[in-house]
Amino acid sequence: MFEAQEVNAEHKDLIHDVAYDFYGERMATCSSDQYVKVWDQGSDGKWSLTSSWKAHSGSVWKVTWAHPEFGQVLATCSFDRTAAVWEELVGETPGPGERGTRHWVRRTNLVDSRTSVTDVKFGPRTQGLQLATCSADGVIRIYEAPDVMNLSQWTLQHEIQCKLSCSCLTWNPSLSKNHPLMLAVGSDDNNLTAGGKVFIYEYSDNIRRWIKTDTLSSVTDPVHDIAFSPNLGRSFHLLAIATKDVRIISLAPIPDNANTQSGLNKLDIQTAAQFDDHGCMVWRVCWNITGTILASSGDDGCVRMFKMNYINAWKPVAVLKGDGSHITNEGHRSSVSSAASLPTPPMAAVVSQTARYIKLGTISQSREAPWH
Amino acid sequence: MEGALKTFTIPNELCRRAGVIGTWLPINEIGIFPSQPVKTSSSDTVSPYGPSDASVYNVRQQVILFEPILRKLLNEANGTFLSVQELMASNLPDYKSELLKLSRQYRSIIRACLENLQDEAVCDKTNYKEELQNYITIFYSVECIWHLCEILFVENIPGGVVLPHLLEWVRFHFPKYERNAATLLREDTIGIELQPYYWETVIGSLMQGRIELVQALLQLHSSADGKPFQLAIQALREMPLYNIYGGVSISEFNLKWKHWVSDTQSTIDAKMFTSERYLNLIMRLSVGEETAWNDVQAQREPWYAFLAASLFFREPTVKAFELGQLARQCIARVKGGVHMRHLDHVLLAAMELDLIQVIKEIQQMSENGWFVSHLTDLLYHCGRLEALQSDDTNLMGGRLRECFLLDYGTLLMGHNSLWQVGLNYLDHCPTEGLSTIKLLLARLPLKSEARTHKIIREAHKRDMPQIIQSICKVQAMNSARNGRMGNALTWALKSQDGAFTSLMADKFLLHYKGSGILLNEDLLDNLGSSVLISDRLIFLGKYFEFHKEYRLKNYKEAANILISLLASKLTPKYFWDTLLCDAIDLLENNVMVISSTYTFELLRYLEEKCDLPELKDKVGLIRLGAARNLSRALLYEIQYDKKDA
Repeated sequence: MFEAQEVNAEHKDLIHDVAYDFYGERMATCSSDQYVKVWDQGSDGKWSLTSSWKAHSGSVWKVTWAHPEFGQVLATCSFDRTAAVWEELVGETPGPGERGTRHWVRRTNLVDSRTSVTDVKFGPRTQGLQLATCSADGVIRIYEAPDVMNLSQWTLQHEIQCKLSCSCLTWNPSLSKNHPLMLAVGSDDNNLTAGGKVFIYEYSDNIRRWIKTDTLSSVTDPVHDIAFSPNLGRSFHLLAIATKDVRIISLAPIPDNANTQSGLNKLDIQTAAQFDDHGCMVWRVCWNITGTILASSGDDGCVRMFKMNYINAWKPVAVLKGDGSHITNEGHRSSVSSAASLPTPPMAAVVSQTARYIKLGTISQSREAPWH
Repeated sequence: MEGALKTFTIPNELCRRAGVIGTWLPINEIGIFPSQPVKTSSSDTVSPYGPSDASVYNVRQQVILFEPILRKLLNEANGTFLSVQELMASNLPDYKSELLKLSRQYRSIIRACLENLQDEAVCDKTNYKEELQNYITIFYSVECIWHLCEILFVENIPGGVVLPHLLEWVRFHFPKYERNAATLLREDTIGIELQPYYWETVIGSLMQGRIELVQALLQLHSSADGKPFQLAIQALREMPLYNIYGGVSISEFNLKWKHWVSDTQSTIDAKMFTSERYLNLIMRLSVGEETAWNDVQAQREPWYAFLAASLFFREPTVKAFELGQLARQCIARVKGGVHMRHLDHVLLAAMELDLIQVIKEIQQMSENGWFVSHLTDLLYHCGRLEALQSDDTNLMGGRLRECFLLDYGTLLMGHNSLWQVGLNYLDHCPTEGLSTIKLLLARLPLKSEARTHKIIREAHKRDMPQIIQSICKVQAMNSARNGRMGNALTWALKSQDGAFTSLMADKFLLHYKGSGILLNEDLLDNLGSSVLISDRLIFLGKYFEFHKEYRLKNYKEAANILISLLASKLTPKYFWDTLLCDAIDLLENNVMVISSTYTFELLRYLEEKCDLPELKDKVGLIRLGAARNLSRALLYEIQYDKKDA
């Protein structure tokens, strides 16, 4: 069964994004109230607010952490047409065994976009500090901090025109000799006749430019989120797409088929799985750390999880759903976890209403490889 | 599909109204928050739900394995798991019997855990008792299933005659009759049949195939000397028991058995036992009389105990592959289609030798994959998974095993202190184990230096230099952030990353430039050959040496170092002014320490750099110093030359 800890985010409106740091010990939230908040998990497992500041003059759409190698760094993007990089500083007065006061400072404001900046993501760690943004007018920008100790200097390295308005982007975390830097961008343009809505860009070392290597013509509906799977040492990449359904696309570089000019391989693109379990628009996709479970969120108010089983077929495994009406009638609070001693009971049992009474014997193939 | 999926509810009204979004966090949690989707084209307005109290729910799986009371089970099973892997790697010819031993070892671990749980449950008076009872139920089932699987899949039974093992299994899991019988025999009192459980025990023992025990119990009856008892004991003594090593073929045995049945039947028909109601029942049971068996059904609760009993009297030579069908008949008879518990399903699947079904079913048990991963691993090594229906059989079995181990290992990696145990499992996943370790190891929070060193050691063992480098850099960055520069430099050195180490050395130099203080001189004094990793660090080390010599008043050496630094081409742009200003003191020194050649060289560097803005007001001073030093140096050198000449 599952258990959950409730953290009241103290935002004045709905949350647009939650990002966890590399270790899952810090949490950043952003909202339409233009604030960004940072939460830290104490050794008792309890989350507490450590910083909160007005980050933008418009809704903050996304927030993301840089790898801790670069310090404690956040990037945000907003309706106010900017993206910003923030760094947490420790005050000069660290007492013995005590941490100094901390505060977040804006290191830079990236103001190149003329429209709402819809997504922001840091590039792979091994490439230094790179930041990609995309905007509603269809421009992808790659910035770089040449000196990772000085985050106030960012240079706009590349500007890629993508004809359609961009809603989301993702870096491919797999990097090696055989895999050049790769970005995938999604568009939520409503016009079905405008063709594919997912674009794959790769960086060519030969000509030092980003090149669009592919457009996924199979995805013509608006795309709202996109995510490359973590690298498991496979020869192919997996890309999850949130559109009118959940798609998992595999991209396999075809060896010995490099473009002579760019040196980039062509990709063999296959749909590995497609789920319309949500039955409606899907808004978010997210891989777990090891890329074994995909969580998708849709208009049906559910977070659905999909897992690959031992014969490499993807199956739905669990559903999480918000429902306030069961709070009072649940007799299952016994599954409240050990942290229940916190002041306002923040640990609420996530009760499995359907699960309790399900006849396990009737469960079909889908249980082949369940949630751990 | 929808109905088959487990749905979990987040008890929050806003989450229901607005909808939710989920984001994973390391290693096994997901954050759920109420959110409303935005399109790139939508305008920036307050949502219909605001102002509101949005909460983030950090959802994780409840893992009973993390309970302290199960810690022993976890660790010991890990030991056995490793023994299994070692055994398979050793290519022992007799590995199958060794595997059986290890299977028993697993079972004894479960048994120990159960006993531990039972002790605790007795002592505990709090709410926790209920939990403990739950665990007992779970692990009791685990033990029961494991035992049966061991008989059917691990043990190499001669001739495939499973009955003796089945009986043993039933006896083990229903020890009540044996215990009672022991009490009865020990008491050895007159009027033993007045004990309320006397007949129950006799029949129970009979059903578990303990014929000798039955005889012994009957002997204690106060009318044991009577004819019916004597006849019964006699008949039971003559009852043929099948033994694979008895040198009796099956057909021969069947013949014997038929004889015995017809003999005994005739005694029953002669109404020799009617005076003793229970004795009569026992004899009718022994010959397999249908009505008698129907009578006792009620008290034999689980069907599998009944199955073993009925096989004993009807099909003592049953083979493993016939079990499934007989089990189904038995269930139909006992239960008549009554609700089957989960355990029943698993046992039935095992008896039908449907391994896939067994594995599928045991995943449903709420012990977080402990059982399924260990059992699947064992069965895989026993070669049992090769029989799975697929073209690429061996591969599939191996993949199935790996999937479970990956899940189990990942689960453990998510625990603060069990991550090393988790590694042991991931290590034995041939295809994706290493990449999974790479992903997870780097994500372990670096809570203390000791823990960090431990993580680095594990990464080192698995030859993951990139992970080590990354961890060291993170540590260096954290130390630097907290103002512990010495620590930061040490970690940077460990990272073996030249560029990164340079960045840290820069911090030292910049700090000196700002404050005039060189940090962590002890460390700088002991850098040794490790400085070679970065030019900037070499510069820092040399610069420290310069300071050291200067302080020791070895001005000559200090001057030499300074000049060599100027000439080295290692000087960072921002440090030129500092370096050149340092020269002033030496130029103006009471004793002449810089030769004319060196002074010329110094002047050359000064001319190169005199455009630097921060040097502006010092250029004159340095030139003056240089000129004066040059004059005395030239004078001195001429005299010196003369002397030489």
